[in-house]
Amino acid sequence: MLRHLFKLIWNKKGTHSLLIIEVWAAFMVLFGVLTLIVFNLRNYLQPIGFQYENVWNLELATNQDTTEIAAKLQRAVQRVKSYPEVVAASRMSSNTPFSANQIGNSVTYNKVDVGADFYYTDTELHKVLELPLKKGRWYTDADLVGKFIPIVINQVMEDKLFQNESGLNKVIKRDDKTMYKVVGIVDKFKAKGQFMSNNPALFEMLEKKDRWNGNILIKTKPGTDANFEAQLVKDMALMLPGWGVEVGYLKDSRKNRENLTLVPVLIFLIVSGFLLTNVALGLFGVLNLNIAKRKGEIGLRRAMGATESGVTGQFLGEIWVLATFSLIIGLIFAVQFPIMHVFDLDKEIYLIAIFAAVVVIYIIVTLCAWFPSKQAARIHPAVALHEE
Amino acid sequence: MVHGLSSMVKKQKRTTYQHAMIKLQNVEKVYRTSSIETLALNNINLDVKKGEFVSIMGPSGCGKSTLLNIIGLLDAPSKGHIEIDGSPVERYTDKHLAELRNRKLGFIFQSFHLINDLSVIDNVEIPLLYRNSSAKQRRDAAQEALEKVGLSNRMKHFPKQLSGGQKQRVAIARAIVGNPEIILADEPTGNLDSAMGNEILGILQKLNSNGTTIVMVTHDEAMAKKTDRLIRLFDGVQVS
Repeated sequence: MLRHLFKLIWNKKGTHSLLIIEVWAAFMVLFGVLTLIVFNLRNYLQPIGFQYENVWNLELATNQDTTEIAAKLQRAVQRVKSYPEVVAASRMSSNTPFSANQIGNSVTYNKVDVGADFYYTDTELHKVLELPLKKGRWYTDADLVGKFIPIVINQVMEDKLFQNESGLNKVIKRDDKTMYKVVGIVDKFKAKGQFMSNNPALFEMLEKKDRWNGNILIKTKPGTDANFEAQLVKDMALMLPGWGVEVGYLKDSRKNRENLTLVPVLIFLIVSGFLLTNVALGLFGVLNLNIAKRKGEIGLRRAMGATESGVTGQFLGEIWVLATFSLIIGLIFAVQFPIMHVFDLDKEIYLIAIFAAVVVIYIIVTLCAWFPSKQAARIHPAVALHEE
Repeated sequence: MVHGLSSMVKKQKRTTYQHAMIKLQNVEKVYRTSSIETLALNNINLDVKKGEFVSIMGPSGCGKSTLLNIIGLLDAPSKGHIEIDGSPVERYTDKHLAELRNRKLGFIFQSFHLINDLSVIDNVEIPLLYRNSSAKQRRDAAQEALEKVGLSNRMKHFPKQLSGGQKQRVAIARAIVGNPEIILADEPTGNLDSAMGNEILGILQKLNSNGTTIVMVTHDEAMAKKTDRLIRLFDGVQVS
């Protein structure tokens, strides 16, 4: 019977071409949206690797001030640490967690080149963000006397750069002048939030004389409120006249950051929802028309021995065959994405999206064909034959 | 001489009739709408013996096709009793009726009812799709049936490429491909010229001479006279 249905659809391919294109287009859009969803969902299911509750970001802008910046920043950090409400505080580059800023560079080890997000921090960041170390330790002031700049990397960076070796205490190169020594390895660090993929990350120790990185991450005690925030801002303004002082909560930044990911996904989802609804309505209409046109054939098949369920099965089978033609064309396009590593995504993401899109398309065409097919089965054979 | 031979064949056939292949008792068919009730068939009693060639005649709207549909299990009577090859069919399920239609009955229609998107051989194979036959069995049986109607050279053609007579021969091949014991023909020559009509009747007579029971609805008196028995209907009533 399957062969018969393929033959029937193939012989009518001209008539069905628009329908095939419509289902193909729906599959491609669905594949795109599902890729986006699978990508974000997989990221969402992975922990971000650090704690952001009760962590504040104190952003200090030097504005017109150009004198003794490094010393003033150091004094500011010491002052912040002195408050009883503060558990820990750490200086950090402008790419603080959930911010829109990004600093990237690449490092080399044994001719293996890996690009990573760079974070410039002091010795306290792991305490502020409660970053658990898988291997080694966080860098300390004592490391600064060494020949190489101390760094901490994350697990995925270790895997990519050192393959099967341990990265601990290995020396890696950024450029001819800059060499790093890995002193510790953390598990994950998804600084852009839950929806960020687990990218390679590298934490480089800030020098005491650094004057460029004016962010201080502050871990406060639970229950610390806006009164402390006001006092902190006031004290900083007095201590650093002419500087810009701004406080933000990482918890709020995380929400904003995640909305930036969710909103486009929702927009795509709504657009594809409309498209799929149109496809479904189109299919439904075409099938209804088809059945009205093929009443004689339905009567004939009943006369030749088809049961009611056989007629339903035939019409459902025809739409599945038609969808299969569309999906074969769609798959030719879709499989290029994992083969050619488009957007540098995991093969798995594309394969899951392809599988899910195929399932959704079959569900949609089945739902659309179900009612007209049932209607076809209910047509009385004697009436159907007479109408022809 | 030919007439004499034909009578002899008829006499010989009559002696071979065994039991009623089709039996209708007090069959009535009423069509009801919200405002009107039409009695299409009234108290029909009919016995068609195995191997008999019966024709049904009557003016348009007298209930010929309704009777054929009821015999063919495509329509249910409002009242009465039907037996096909000795089995009462009133309590049969849809599945059982479909199986009976597939195994016992072959249909030929005035308007051929060929599927234009399928080739001649694929059209002929249709009844076998509803049986557990392999693709090869289907193909072989369809080829054999087309050879019987003299269309083995048109297997790959599509219905639109055939003349009316050829289309009806394809329909006959489709009706006989499953070796049914009964063939029901609803005005099989109605859309054909007289020469082509005689050719089709010749094929049906040949099938009948091989033991197939045939019930044919026709408007053509001359055609009807060439069959074993003529049943006349008028306003849903059997008049002879």
